[in-house]
Amino acid sequence: MNTTLPVLTGIGSVTPYGPLAGLISAAPLEPGAITAWTSPGLRRAFLVEPFRPASIVPGLKTRRLDRLSAWALVAASLALQDAGVDLNLMDRSRIAVFFASGFGCVELTEAFYQSAATNGWAGTDPITFPETLGNSPASHVALFHDLRGPNVTVSSKSFAAESALLQAASLLRHEQADLAIVLAGDTLTQAVYEWYEVAQLLAPACFSNEPISSAGGFIPSEGMVAMVLEGAVRPAARRYATLGAGRWAAGGDVQAGVRQLLGDELPELTICAGNGAPCASTPLTCSARDLVGEDAVIYPAQAVAAGMGEAGGLLHLLLALSSRPGPGKALMLGRSAHGGYAALRLELS
Amino acid sequence: MIDAQKTIVVTGIGVISPYGTGLPRLQAGMLAGQCCLKPVTELYPGFRGTVASVGDLPSVAGSHRYSRSDRLAMAAAQDAIAEFSRSGSVLRESGIVMASTVAGLTEIDPEISRGPAAWYRHGGLSRAASYPVSRVAASVGEHLGIEGPNCAVSVACASGAMAIALAANMLLDEAAPMILAGGSDALSPFTLSGFNSLQALDPEPCRPFDQNRNGLNLGEGAAVLVLETLAHATKRDAKILAVLRGWAMTNDATHPTAPQKDGIGLACCIERALEMAACGIEEVGYVNAHGTGTPLNDIAETHAYENAFHGRSRPIPVSSTKSYFGHCLGAAGALEAAITITAMQASALFPTLRLTDPIESDQVDWLRGELRRQPLPAAMSVSAGFGGSNAALVFGRPRA
Repeated sequence: MNTTLPVLTGIGSVTPYGPLAGLISAAPLEPGAITAWTSPGLRRAFLVEPFRPASIVPGLKTRRLDRLSAWALVAASLALQDAGVDLNLMDRSRIAVFFASGFGCVELTEAFYQSAATNGWAGTDPITFPETLGNSPASHVALFHDLRGPNVTVSSKSFAAESALLQAASLLRHEQADLAIVLAGDTLTQAVYEWYEVAQLLAPACFSNEPISSAGGFIPSEGMVAMVLEGAVRPAARRYATLGAGRWAAGGDVQAGVRQLLGDELPELTICAGNGAPCASTPLTCSARDLVGEDAVIYPAQAVAAGMGEAGGLLHLLLALSSRPGPGKALMLGRSAHGGYAALRLELS
Repeated sequence: MIDAQKTIVVTGIGVISPYGTGLPRLQAGMLAGQCCLKPVTELYPGFRGTVASVGDLPSVAGSHRYSRSDRLAMAAAQDAIAEFSRSGSVLRESGIVMASTVAGLTEIDPEISRGPAAWYRHGGLSRAASYPVSRVAASVGEHLGIEGPNCAVSVACASGAMAIALAANMLLDEAAPMILAGGSDALSPFTLSGFNSLQALDPEPCRPFDQNRNGLNLGEGAAVLVLETLAHATKRDAKILAVLRGWAMTNDATHPTAPQKDGIGLACCIERALEMAACGIEEVGYVNAHGTGTPLNDIAETHAYENAFHGRSRPIPVSSTKSYFGHCLGAAGALEAAITITAMQASALFPTLRLTDPIESDQVDWLRGELRRQPLPAAMSVSAGFGGSNAALVFGRPRA
């Protein structure tokens, strides 16, 4: 058992802010008009602008991959670069990859269905099939960087990103890995967007140029965030934050759960992850203020991250870190209108 | 000295398989050497092959909201906690870690690609809601009123074993008092078509580890283990079925679909699981192998056993129980964990069916022909999957 708390030492991201290493501008974004498919009128979302992965990470070959896999490769590479990790000096069989996603490689899954619609199930594409698997992004990261430790893909209703972060930290604590790359992301496709639309979950701002509002639904988003966690931190490593204990549950008493986690130590900053945004109109039983007391600064959930649903937790954390809070105790708090919560204690550096 | 807070035990096993619902049916079928693989042609036009399917699924309220994979998971979980009082807080606060690779793909048809919105408006909306892999774990939670941490694992064919490994870590972290961990996957045209396109399917019943093996057969099912710490199990006076002594996960990092030819990544996984279990190579009495029946997997896996058990005084007994009811993908690792525990309970080493001309190895004792009876102090279940992932679980017998 490693008693040293895992430290967040590197960040990489491919988001509507672009492909970036480290912290980002975190300036409020406006959703863009969708042009990737034909719609009966204006449809908006927070989208990742197309870019050539090899221009960011030389040597990447992503032509046959789902965008999700390509983004995972770019984000993970940028995170390792940001962390200043020299993989040649490490035991690669002790480097883990933990990936969280709500929908997985949905783009190539749709392409596979398309080939079945066109050619019948007997005429589907053997190249596409393996790339539809949910763990493809994580395994491509392992393959590109020769990472031979645990390689896990998880999903969790409302809290996939938080669940990956907590489980990766657990691997480090139990000395099943020395370093973990935690990734969380999703792509937006026509089938996903139209499901939200037909289910009437989208905000009015998706269909007009009116300002963003959390009322009446959410604005879908896409992207990928990667974070490097280290168990025994290298002396020269940057420290964004130290991860403390965490809890997550699919239901039950949020207040009791969070208070049990915090004990007497209330956070100075609470980062609201706001996952489960698709049902945000459902009233939540208590506010973040109720949970953490009057003195904590509340960093509210951001629309660009809330739109990523299950996988948005890491983007929420990145946006909060990028807003340059001072050092101190923080609580990452994701709540779902479906019920349930994810809470993680952090010590910001 | 055993640390009861850090010892993970199995106190319940739920199964739904082509043998029916419940571990006793699975055990009876396998002890009798009954093969569930059958030829089929109706799964989609043009398909001719061999699969193993589950017969009638138990009915659930609001079944239209659940995929077949969800319903298999719900049935196995229900079976796993059959002895439990539903009103107790222990169950309500428990966690769920369920593996799946197919999840709700069973409910979506290719017509969606011609116009998603129209497909949703004509009945597809609720069917598509079961698409995310997280739905499998969430469905079990909804069905049983379990409110603790709820997580799905999707790591191809290693998923089921990884779900058990992750759940064990969560118990060590005290994330929940008890965790239902396992896997569930249903047969679907999507996966049959995919494996068929890769020419990975044997049209006849598969022959794992045979020199004339010709591919895999797909099956379906679900298995759920109830895991908790020894301290927790003792406190509630639960019957302990097995001890999960060690677990490990690694990745080959060599190819998106093919295993590492020399099996080094899998061997490393086995060695780490044995190390955690403090279990010597002589102590392992049986390995329930991944054993898909594909040319590449089985030879790589053989090399892995030769590496991991090198120096053992006698060959390591190995079999593939996929020869009984096919490869159940995300459920495979969990079903095979259940079978491994059954093997220990019954002191029975299940032979690989149809293994007539095994891969040559002087370090592997290929179990074939008659069922072998032998006490097993420790046994291992090994899984691997596309993307290079490997998982190994070491089980031990509970102390009398």
